[in-house]
Amino acid sequence: MWTWKALKQREDGLLRPSAFRRGVVSSRASSLQLSNAKEFISLHRGAINSLEIDSTEGEGRYLLSAASDGTVAVFDTHRPTSSSTSSCASIAQHHPLFHLPRAHKFAISRALWYPVDTGLFITASFDHYVKLWDTNSTQVVLDYKLPAKVYGIAMSSIATSHSLIATATADVQVRLCDLASGAFAHTLSGHRDGVMSLEWSSSTEFVLITGGCDGAIRFWDIRRPGTFLLLDQSLSQLGTRPPLLPTPTPSNNESTSLPASSKSSSSTPILPAQKRRSHKKIQLKPPTQSSHPGMASSQNRATAHYGAVNGLRATADGFYLLSSGSDSRLRLWDIESGRNTLVNYEAMSIQTSKPIQLAVTPDSSLVFVPCLASLKAYDLWSGTTINTYRGHYESVNCCFFNAQDQELYTGSNDRQILVWSPSIPAATQIEEADSKGGITSIDQDNWSD
Amino acid sequence: MAESSQSKSGGKKRSRSESEGDPDADADAASLQSIQLENDLNFTDTAIALQMMKAQFPKLDKVVVRPFILRSQLYSSVKDRTQVDRDLESLKKEAVVRVFKLNTGKDDHAIMFMDDYLAQMENAVKRYDAKDKQLSDVFDWFKQYVIKSKTDVSISHPELCSLLSNGGDVTEKHVTLLINAGLLTCQLIDQNLYWFVIPNIGSILKGLSQGRKELLSLINRTKYKEMVLANLEKKRLRLSPLDIRFHIRDLIGSGLLKTVQSPIGLLIRLSRD
Repeated sequence: MWTWKALKQREDGLLRPSAFRRGVVSSRASSLQLSNAKEFISLHRGAINSLEIDSTEGEGRYLLSAASDGTVAVFDTHRPTSSSTSSCASIAQHHPLFHLPRAHKFAISRALWYPVDTGLFITASFDHYVKLWDTNSTQVVLDYKLPAKVYGIAMSSIATSHSLIATATADVQVRLCDLASGAFAHTLSGHRDGVMSLEWSSSTEFVLITGGCDGAIRFWDIRRPGTFLLLDQSLSQLGTRPPLLPTPTPSNNESTSLPASSKSSSSTPILPAQKRRSHKKIQLKPPTQSSHPGMASSQNRATAHYGAVNGLRATADGFYLLSSGSDSRLRLWDIESGRNTLVNYEAMSIQTSKPIQLAVTPDSSLVFVPCLASLKAYDLWSGTTINTYRGHYESVNCCFFNAQDQELYTGSNDRQILVWSPSIPAATQIEEADSKGGITSIDQDNWSD
Repeated sequence: MAESSQSKSGGKKRSRSESEGDPDADADAASLQSIQLENDLNFTDTAIALQMMKAQFPKLDKVVVRPFILRSQLYSSVKDRTQVDRDLESLKKEAVVRVFKLNTGKDDHAIMFMDDYLAQMENAVKRYDAKDKQLSDVFDWFKQYVIKSKTDVSISHPELCSLLSNGGDVTEKHVTLLINAGLLTCQLIDQNLYWFVIPNIGSILKGLSQGRKELLSLINRTKYKEMVLANLEKKRLRLSPLDIRFHIRDLIGSGLLKTVQSPIGLLIRLSRD
């Protein structure tokens, strides 16, 4: 908690600097309000579908926004372009650094910065194209034509050996486009309906997580064909980590049940649904013979949600995955065991037609979910609602949490980008007035004697 | 895709009873589990809430249905939803309760105690007289093999056939008989998957969805979209055979209504967004 006492304790060495920093960051992140110091002037004439800040080391500064009218804009979040002065407060206005009016023919569903630097950005649209743009000249460098409308794209931010863009389309196959060669690298098939959301793993550069309109969430290792893990909502674990396995004893009874669970640590884990089918005597249909463990998963009908999976977000440490579905549920999955942790996030209503963008704070404490016209912040581990942010007039599509400044940016169907910043306590305003020697606070009189 | 080394029939159930050291667990297990809750030394909030709501289930005159509880009602009575989910999961695994997915609304689930469900199933089977007496063995196989071992809300066709075949030869006609008797339903999205259902519950489900709409419109018509709980409980719903407290709990749990403390008492307000 950021108080003067904590600052003194840090000075005296009673509180470690990293703990102090964590306390400041988390208290700022949980006290967000509609910002009265900053606003983005959005020139978009359509619903804002995607917001992203570049992930260059130590400086997340440029906000890339994409809208349904096929326009793309980039904003500088640090330096305002002008400020509107009114009698009591001045709001810093940020106009876009550039605004591309006709980037795509139809709506843009997602725009991403190139993970390494801000020299390139990638946009994906419903006009079946994924385009790579050079930021300085705002020209298209490469484009990929896909067979169906593109719902989402992702690039791995930790990849060093590949530069692949994974694309999620209304077609059942996930295609990987290679930046280095300008062609398609491979396709991943296994989903039974279109793919709505996808995300690269934040711990391994070769693992891709996709969520489909059929409600399934699949994990792919791109070095091998097929899915190696399929999340099933009926497989659950009580608690955020699975219980420790009992030590194997030489008795016969336990040895039959243990190999199934201990084999999950081997390199080819058994899919959870297969374990149940193993103890049958007579079968009407023989099980499909497959030569590869990954290929069998196309028969696996396990679903993670009862509707389409329209948002995926992995936590920064790579242990947990959040998925939101059109059945208006948000689920937290333990990636390593592949099970539903059964954390219940209180009632929400998620829009069903479009993919949405979730946001998680880097210390994995809060998750921000767009719920129709408002945005809700939930505690990640217990599922209680911490805050509801109401400010947009129509449904919110995307949100992005800027970890550098602890600000939240949200974009919605009402064509606005709103900024939510930590509420500054009144004490600092009085301090500022004293130090400058002039009267800046609203409460003070202009004509005191 | 490794095969487990268990070659005995009725795999999971047998191994659990063997590990408990109880050779004739079949008949006793069902009756033991129903009184297991009462013999426990410590209760969970969820278990108490379930027992309480089962006792409060309204008496219906037209249809005979054993008490069931909606999941949203549980959320409204116990504070911590995550704990409710986890307790429910462990109760499901112990086969004390059974969870069913309903087709009214987005994510409705009904919870029924195992002995209630078995009694409901018996009533349904008795009322449904099968034309072919040989096929009616499938009901016993269903009860013995499928219900005991499969605790999920749905089951796939190959698995259903393999579990039923532990009792004897299974054909498609047997599965059709189960569907006609009202114990299973085809899923709309996938022909190969079936939901478990509570038999003879159709009219109540219709009453449920209509009652919800009626209650919401009742509160919507007030000037400030709120009403005192005491006044609300006295009203009767026209379209639903279930009483109003059932619907109030259900709507509070699903987030459409919220309770507000006031000097008058508890107010029920329509929640916006």
